[in-house]
Amino acid sequence: MLANLNEGQAIDRRRFVQTLMLPAALPVAAALVGSAAQTAEPTAADGLDIIDCNVHLFDWPFRKLKYAQTDALAEKLRRHRITKAWAGSFEAVLHTQFDAANRRLAEECRSKGDGMFVPIGTVNPGGPDWEEDLRRCHEAYRMSGVRLYPAYHGYGLDYADFAKLLAETAKRGMLVQIVLRMEDERCHHPALVIEAVDVGPLVEALKTLPQAKVQLINSAGRLLGKNVAALVRETQVTFDIAATEGNGGVGQLIAGTNYSYTGAIPIERLVFGSHAPFFPCESALMKLFESPLDLAELEPLMYANAKRLIA
Amino acid sequence: MPSSPREFVLNPAAYGLPTRDDLVKLRIWDIHYHGFFKGGIPAHEENLFYVERMGIERMLSLDIGGSPEDPLGTTIPAEQNREMREYLEQHADSVSGLIPVDPGRPLESCRKMEEWIANGPCIGIKYYGGNPKGVLCSHPDNDVIIRLAAQMKAVIYIHTWLQVGGEPRRPGGKNAPGEATPLDVAKLAARFPDVNFICGHSGGDWELGVRYVRPLENVYIEFSGSDPHSGQVDFTVAEVSAARLVWGGHGPSRSYSTELAKVFDADLTHDQRLAIFGGNLRRLAEPIFRKKGYKL
Repeated sequence: MLANLNEGQAIDRRRFVQTLMLPAALPVAAALVGSAAQTAEPTAADGLDIIDCNVHLFDWPFRKLKYAQTDALAEKLRRHRITKAWAGSFEAVLHTQFDAANRRLAEECRSKGDGMFVPIGTVNPGGPDWEEDLRRCHEAYRMSGVRLYPAYHGYGLDYADFAKLLAETAKRGMLVQIVLRMEDERCHHPALVIEAVDVGPLVEALKTLPQAKVQLINSAGRLLGKNVAALVRETQVTFDIAATEGNGGVGQLIAGTNYSYTGAIPIERLVFGSHAPFFPCESALMKLFESPLDLAELEPLMYANAKRLIA
Repeated sequence: MPSSPREFVLNPAAYGLPTRDDLVKLRIWDIHYHGFFKGGIPAHEENLFYVERMGIERMLSLDIGGSPEDPLGTTIPAEQNREMREYLEQHADSVSGLIPVDPGRPLESCRKMEEWIANGPCIGIKYYGGNPKGVLCSHPDNDVIIRLAAQMKAVIYIHTWLQVGGEPRRPGGKNAPGEATPLDVAKLAARFPDVNFICGHSGGDWELGVRYVRPLENVYIEFSGSDPHSGQVDFTVAEVSAARLVWGGHGPSRSYSTELAKVFDADLTHDQRLAIFGGNLRRLAEPIFRKKGYKL
């Protein structure tokens, strides 16, 4: 247990148990106790499954992706111990019939992946009749959240209907995922001109909505600008790690020493996101190991924080 | 929190990932190391925690005696250069240096190569993503640098990118002055068929970058510094074979996870991974390493 199995130093059992007894790690401890009932000795290697908050299904408009087929993606994620994946639809990035895209997504998640995929619909508060799209997501397709692409759909986070959407989703208890970017703007198709999303107005918009559940995905440090401290201090926003860069980037981010972020993001505000199948899921997975994180940090990052948002 | 770089709370193998021991066995050589870039030797030594944790065998630093603003390092104090030379000499078993050159100042670049490569510890040259005079690596005035590098058997690394922008908007249209595209590397490599070149970053937009250099057998492709795209390495291997890929970590600004994942995403044999992670680079660097008595 506690690899590196072949060469690394194992954590001694006393320290391991102490770690498990931290209050934040109680659900892990319970899980391990559960597995111990069937096996001789609980091990950390038995421990933690992963909830991936940042997955898309279907076809990326500009390239055929290796794991574009839903079943293939499910199999791939499962091989890496990702047991739940919150899935948006690539179709929603450039299509304008959001309801059709959301319906297909709901059906795909229902019929494929053996319950792995949690459908996350898309609404464009800059477009017509978005309230009805949102209602259908929640009531007809039983979606627990919606994913927004402000850069692709052409509105800012200071847009009046964006604030209305936050209020409506908060009322419904839905999660709102805001995609800060899909790909590096240096490599966009030349026909696309996509502005960066300014997250500054989000702080103000959420001040009157403390119950809103908002997550920023692909939230690379540079995209957050100087807003990290305010987002952490004045909102309950969570961030996925798909675009967190730097050697030991996640640990450095928690410690406030990640060079590309202007502040620290505490572990309780971080969630696992892979941006698969656009990114290899191995990228986010290896970040869990590149930083010297302990169980009290890994457990919230790998699933507990996400579970708090969508049970 | 684990305090030793070799200590892991969870077993990577349980998550379908290589363990540290697996990584060590792959003998990873990192052609794109920026550990000295900001903060010099102290910053590099701090970063060694992650180098060891991720099983990286050798780092090839691209920022020795120069910076993007001052590729030839004319503003670097002599004492600082002396310390760096000593450090490279003392740590030749794990760290190697490539010196930035300036295609806008070919003769001064050659003098620097004499100082740092012929009469110093370094083993190669690097073209930054732009230079003060905005001269491309493919400019004929720059051939003198390549001829000297070939004589020295130096490793040649060229940053390339295809930044979309400009008017009309196109890949490469937003490149900085003097920032090469893979097409520039292809033009240069065609003039020197017996010299090997490393085309850095795969041009950023790898779908285009790989195709620009594909016909040139003497061009190797390094693919760090861009987002990890699933399928990138599969595509590149299919176009040019695993024998022409060279791995870069781009740390500490990029995560090793990002760069390692590009290879682990691909459907490769163990031998192909060995080649990409270090075997190809060792083959490229062998002549100058042997000349200098460095460990391969």
